[in-house]
Amino acid sequence: MTAPAPPPAVRSRRWKDRIGSPVNVVGAAAVALVLGAGVIAVAGGNPITAYADIVTGTFGSRSTITLMLGEVTPLLLIGLGLAIAFQGRVWNIGAEGQYLVGAVVGGAFAILSPVQASVVLIPAALLVGTAAGAAWGWIVGKFQAVWGVNEVISSLLLNYVAIFGVAYLVRQPLRDPDYYLPQSKLIPSAARLPDLPFLDVHAGLLIGLIFVPVVIYAMGRTPFGFKVRVLGMNRDAARAAGIDTNRLIVKVMMISGGFAGLAGIAQVLGVESRLNNNLDAGYGFTAIITALLGRMRPLGIVLSSVFIATITVGGDIVQRSQQVPRAAVFVLQALFVIVLLVADKLARR
Amino acid sequence: MDWAAVLGAGALIPLLNAGIRLAMPTGLAAVGEALCQRAGVLNLSLEGILLSGALGSFLGAYYSGQAWIGVIAGVGLGVAVAALMALLSVTFKTEQVINGIVIVLLAGGATSLAYEKLFGVTTTPPRFDTLPSLKIPLLGSIPGVGAVLFDQNALVYISILAVGAVWWVLYRTRFGLSVRAVGERPDAADAAGVNVDRIRWCALLVSGVMGGLGGAVLIVAQLGLFRDNITAGRGWVAIALVIFGRWSPLRVMGGALLFGITDALQLRIQAAGGGVETGVPFELFQALPYIVTIAVVVAATAWARDDAQPKSLGFPYEKEAGTRED
Repeated sequence: MTAPAPPPAVRSRRWKDRIGSPVNVVGAAAVALVLGAGVIAVAGGNPITAYADIVTGTFGSRSTITLMLGEVTPLLLIGLGLAIAFQGRVWNIGAEGQYLVGAVVGGAFAILSPVQASVVLIPAALLVGTAAGAAWGWIVGKFQAVWGVNEVISSLLLNYVAIFGVAYLVRQPLRDPDYYLPQSKLIPSAARLPDLPFLDVHAGLLIGLIFVPVVIYAMGRTPFGFKVRVLGMNRDAARAAGIDTNRLIVKVMMISGGFAGLAGIAQVLGVESRLNNNLDAGYGFTAIITALLGRMRPLGIVLSSVFIATITVGGDIVQRSQQVPRAAVFVLQALFVIVLLVADKLARR
Repeated sequence: MDWAAVLGAGALIPLLNAGIRLAMPTGLAAVGEALCQRAGVLNLSLEGILLSGALGSFLGAYYSGQAWIGVIAGVGLGVAVAALMALLSVTFKTEQVINGIVIVLLAGGATSLAYEKLFGVTTTPPRFDTLPSLKIPLLGSIPGVGAVLFDQNALVYISILAVGAVWWVLYRTRFGLSVRAVGERPDAADAAGVNVDRIRWCALLVSGVMGGLGGAVLIVAQLGLFRDNITAGRGWVAIALVIFGRWSPLRVMGGALLFGITDALQLRIQAAGGGVETGVPFELFQALPYIVTIAVVVAATAWARDDAQPKSLGFPYEKEAGTRED
């Protein structure tokens, strides 16, 4: 946005430079749990047993923990990228599209690649998917930088373009002619991401965890991170301080899109067997919630992605045991963020 | 493809007629959003307002069998969502962009939850008959114009009146003057005795009425059923139209009409082209509204000669911190 009247820097710095007090978090969590109980009750479940089912169901067996960690992977990866963008107040809400583009372009590369040796194929496919997601983010950044196009609108609308683009690609050029449903050929086994030792979770989780300290370092200790934070405090002040904000916004959008693209291709190589329309699973939007709950900080996002993954897996369990529709989970997630926003605000009064 | 059926003179009147009808949900939402942004609030919850309005109107009309009860219920839910946005953005003054996005996600979850709880997961969703056309006597008999403008369903007439009302309120009333003042210079408006937060609350509620009505028009007058995410991004397109229309309600509505006609045209080309087996992939047609919207926003932003965007758009007004030097 190019509004010439920036908010006073004092307010913005508080908004950025705080780690919420533990009391605040606990209080917010309590309110959120009560509101959530209301939602579950309205949806026809028993809140107490539902909460118990979510926790015991998710952590009660190896297979559900595996499921949960599988959900963590895309949320963590996308969330890290969004944390960088949001800290600079670059509102990328196109992660869903960037994820899809990364998944399909990287997946197509893995299927069509003439070289089928894992050592080459896996890293190359991961790079291609990341680059594709970054390219999708680049469009948004470039529109913002060159013409001042509001990034919220362009990134959101590009999600739809990506969804229909993927639908076309799996229906026509990438389609496996042997099947009735529009889906690609199998992802070659040489391209499968290996599982982590002792876990049935693919290596994407490890990649995400490796990026946690990288992002912490980049945001806290490098000129890039400093510039992004200044950008987030006050765009005009950043420009006045000699930062090439346009270039920085493009860069931030590419990094953020790259993380989403990486999450997409990791999901394809680690979990999916084919490319199809089910790739559009909403991780890009859930990751926005994850990044906000994690307060746009890498370690916070590790915690919030585990939390969101837990209520996602737990929500499926409760759906079966108490007929509470899965959509209740989305309501809970959004409520938690709203409560946290208000709690943060009240704590500073 | 039979191009005469698509673009011939005989096809023009039904095309324009359908275009106006299809423009209404997005147009109403966009006009309400324009007023809201003129007051300085970037209401990104619009997609959530539309979606809630759609569900509300579906439930109201389905259970009562009365279209007008549906409209009231739709507007009511739209206003409720807008009130949540106002509570967060105006009362608590949390980041408007985040509020909007989170409310859209909340509305998406809540509408799916309510619908699934009430109707279960079915392959044959419950439906009702959409509003019939209501030809206005005399006016409807004017050749050409009559068939385009005055042979519409009742909600189209109401929508046109609502758009006119927003224009009138914004430019011809004291409230409208306050809205514009608050959007440009909240500190000056405050000094002049205008209650900035109250004006912004009201502007958001107007946006809720218009968005809720938009959702109701979509369901009651056009589709007659509800589905998850049935508004399919119309709220985001509406926000884009506000930028395209340079924050002027009538220009915003003009943009919505162009879109409606484009939409009617692409539907017709798809139908005349024979669907799946044509050379042009149908996904391109599906993606076209969004691509066109992006292109239009880029063009509108790039070629804008004046900076029409309200100066305080997106920034909450806080008295104690309101010592900006500008």
